[in-house]
Amino acid sequence: MSLKHKTPMLDELEKGPWPSFVTEMKKAAKKSPMAEDGLGQLEKSYQTKLGYWKHGGIVGVLGYGGGVIGRYSDLPEEFPEVAHFHTIRINQPSGWYYTTKALREICEIWDRYGSGLTNMHGSTGDLVLLGTNTESLEPLFAEYSSRGWDLGGSGSCLRTPSCCLGQSRCEWANYDTMDVIYNLTQEYQDELHRPAFAYKFKIKAAGCACDCVASIARSDCAIIGTWKGDILIDQAEVKKYADGGMNIQDEIVGMCPTECVSYDGKELKINNPQCNRCMHCIAKMTRALRPSGERGATICIGSKAPIVVGSLLSWVVVPFIKVEAPYTELKELIARIIEWWDDNAKPRERIGELIEVKGMRPFLEAIGVPPQPQQVKEPRKDPFIFFKDEDFEKIYTKDKY
Amino acid sequence: MALPERQTDIGPPHYEQFLPPVIKKNYAKWKYHEVLDPGTMVHVAESGDEIYTVRVASPRILATETIYEICDLADKYCDGYLRFTSRNNIEFLISDKSKIDPLKKELKDRKYTVGGIGPRISNVVHTQGWVHCHSACTDASGLVKAMMDELYEYFTEKELPNKVRLAVACCVNMCGAVHCSDIALVALHTKIPVVDNDKVGKMCEIPTVVGSCPTTAIRPNPKEKSITINYDKCMYCGNCFTVCPPISIKDAERDGVAIVVGGKICSLRSDPKFSKLAIPFFYNEPPRWPKIVAAVKNILDVYARNARKHERVGEWIERVGWEEFFKLTGIEFTHQHIDDFTFMRDTLRTSAAFKWA
Amino acid sequence: MEEEEIKEKIFAYSTQMKGKKKLKEKDIIKKIAADTGLEKDVVKKALRAMINVGKLMYSYGGGASSVEIPSDEYLKEKGML
Repeated sequence: MSLKHKTPMLDELEKGPWPSFVTEMKKAAKKSPMAEDGLGQLEKSYQTKLGYWKHGGIVGVLGYGGGVIGRYSDLPEEFPEVAHFHTIRINQPSGWYYTTKALREICEIWDRYGSGLTNMHGSTGDLVLLGTNTESLEPLFAEYSSRGWDLGGSGSCLRTPSCCLGQSRCEWANYDTMDVIYNLTQEYQDELHRPAFAYKFKIKAAGCACDCVASIARSDCAIIGTWKGDILIDQAEVKKYADGGMNIQDEIVGMCPTECVSYDGKELKINNPQCNRCMHCIAKMTRALRPSGERGATICIGSKAPIVVGSLLSWVVVPFIKVEAPYTELKELIARIIEWWDDNAKPRERIGELIEVKGMRPFLEAIGVPPQPQQVKEPRKDPFIFFKDEDFEKIYTKDKY
Repeated sequence: MALPERQTDIGPPHYEQFLPPVIKKNYAKWKYHEVLDPGTMVHVAESGDEIYTVRVASPRILATETIYEICDLADKYCDGYLRFTSRNNIEFLISDKSKIDPLKKELKDRKYTVGGIGPRISNVVHTQGWVHCHSACTDASGLVKAMMDELYEYFTEKELPNKVRLAVACCVNMCGAVHCSDIALVALHTKIPVVDNDKVGKMCEIPTVVGSCPTTAIRPNPKEKSITINYDKCMYCGNCFTVCPPISIKDAERDGVAIVVGGKICSLRSDPKFSKLAIPFFYNEPPRWPKIVAAVKNILDVYARNARKHERVGEWIERVGWEEFFKLTGIEFTHQHIDDFTFMRDTLRTSAAFKWA
Repeated sequence: MEEEEIKEKIFAYSTQMKGKKKLKEKDIIKKIAADTGLEKDVVKKALRAMINVGKLMYSYGGGASSVEIPSDEYLKEKGML
């Protein structure tokens, strides 16, 4: 069966070895008139170098304010099947694990009501279904939710939390990221589906400082696994790395940022109090080195993309917190963080921006976290310092500095 | 057909039902892992149990037809278990070692791309682009495809000094970790928006529009019940368009793509870093954007030749210096490279010690 | 105060602000709680009940979510008109 639209530009992107999204769109187009017009409109964009989508309006199913992103063609007469072409976000399972049975069920429902196009997965982590019309939204929700799948977040809400696969398959994970994210997602169902916040809020959980979910760059609240004990060394395994051709002096000792590793050709030593737990040596000698002692996480707050006044990376706010089920301490902390932001933020203000405006002190005081050197790269450089009256009570009664 | 009864606020299904038995059994008891080849790794548990992972690229946009095929493969070789990665790869999870080679053979026969593990290029994090976004200044999927066709062997085979994380964002909203990637493409508008006064007055809240501008370039225009834009201050971020669609910023000839380099998200060796501007602008050249692809290839090649083992792009550049980066890559340094926005103080040089280019 | 009465006040305020300001859920709760002296949670409960039956709806525009009186199109789609 030949397709309705000629796509000479897009056909060029079926050439070459990398898997082609155009091939995927054509596969869907053979079954779905929506996907067919979507392909036609995309070809037009390639010809004119302009996009033709509008968004807004429809945001969900009855009672929800998110999970559906309204998308409408600017050219409904030329491409009538994509006059409505909404996105649906399905809350992914922790770690993006599936059984084929579950995936097939998701796809079969989608084939009945939508374009047959998906993203596995969207940037925030959701399973994304690309393109359906307005009439199909309620039926789709009934089909999915009755089988145990709920919608993800969109708009001014707690966005779908996501995590690395953590302890399910990774020896470096310092806490159970998948369980924490499952628990937090369940805890915040109301905030996820009903956008009551000033703007979006993202939570991501990474098991270690390798940060495979980019939590430090892409979440308002990053939970990054860490530990307090020594790095345990298996010298026999160290020898195997050396025998296998690893230049331990250059690759491990020379690349340690705190210069806390030494190697005399026989034995590897780590000056543990000087280690900043960056993960380099552990990641490169995973059979020989492993963390020990107390496990938990560092909580970093505030990262976001450039809009409005520049990108932010998350800042260390709580250097260490225990992360053990039922996660009461963590949940209470996150609740205080979100509450302070929600009480103070202007419309469309992320928490990082709010902290920049209000200062770190009001934030730390509101969430009950003391100032600590781990929170900064260096202390302030300017001499313009806020003092509160109560600070002097402390200053006057101190024997020493 | 009658619809089943909807449920609300149930959240995602519990992950445990999707875990392969060997993972369930050894949960939190993994000892180490090894990369066996560019597309295969093994994780070994304290118990001695093993799970093998075969990683396959996807274009992120997948038709259900392809997902059914992936499911058939996972049924045949993986007892029906699979997962996806944070970079849109598919991972086949194999408990029976003898099934690895037959799976890989079938993947090859069906033209799947296996790789992406270890010091290589993994899949590209990217956004929707013209495929499905209202604010796109380019097509992310097309750029990824064109770029990865060229860099293919760095996914399937060739080693680099370390991982190189690529990303493509189709506008500065950056629905991907472009701002902290080794090499990334970010699409930009470069022209002052056109204001439809009638519609702005009817559809938008003027104070919100004024407040949306990071450079205070927008003022109310009470006469027109609209706004005016100060041409000298506007940096074309498009935030006003986001809050007020009748402020149109897209422009076929002036929308284009910048290349940024040197970002990272992990803490290994050095702190996470933002990506910095390497090349400020390319016109959109669909369908294959040849100049952009060539520029990315050049940066990657220069990095591969010059970086030390385990150095990420940003770490290499910081060691040799940005003046050296521009010399080695032959990239012209322009006014656009000097920050005149929020990071100016942090980025201007304050020492007479530098290298001659 | 009966829940029906709170709902009437919420609807009246939403109607009054229609086309003037995009109301966030919080704006409505704050305003009605202040006017009536009721706890915010009580107002929120009434508001949510209205959204659940399509008397009000969540909307998205201008980069943020808001609460609005549903259009006929929305009500038709939800089988309520």
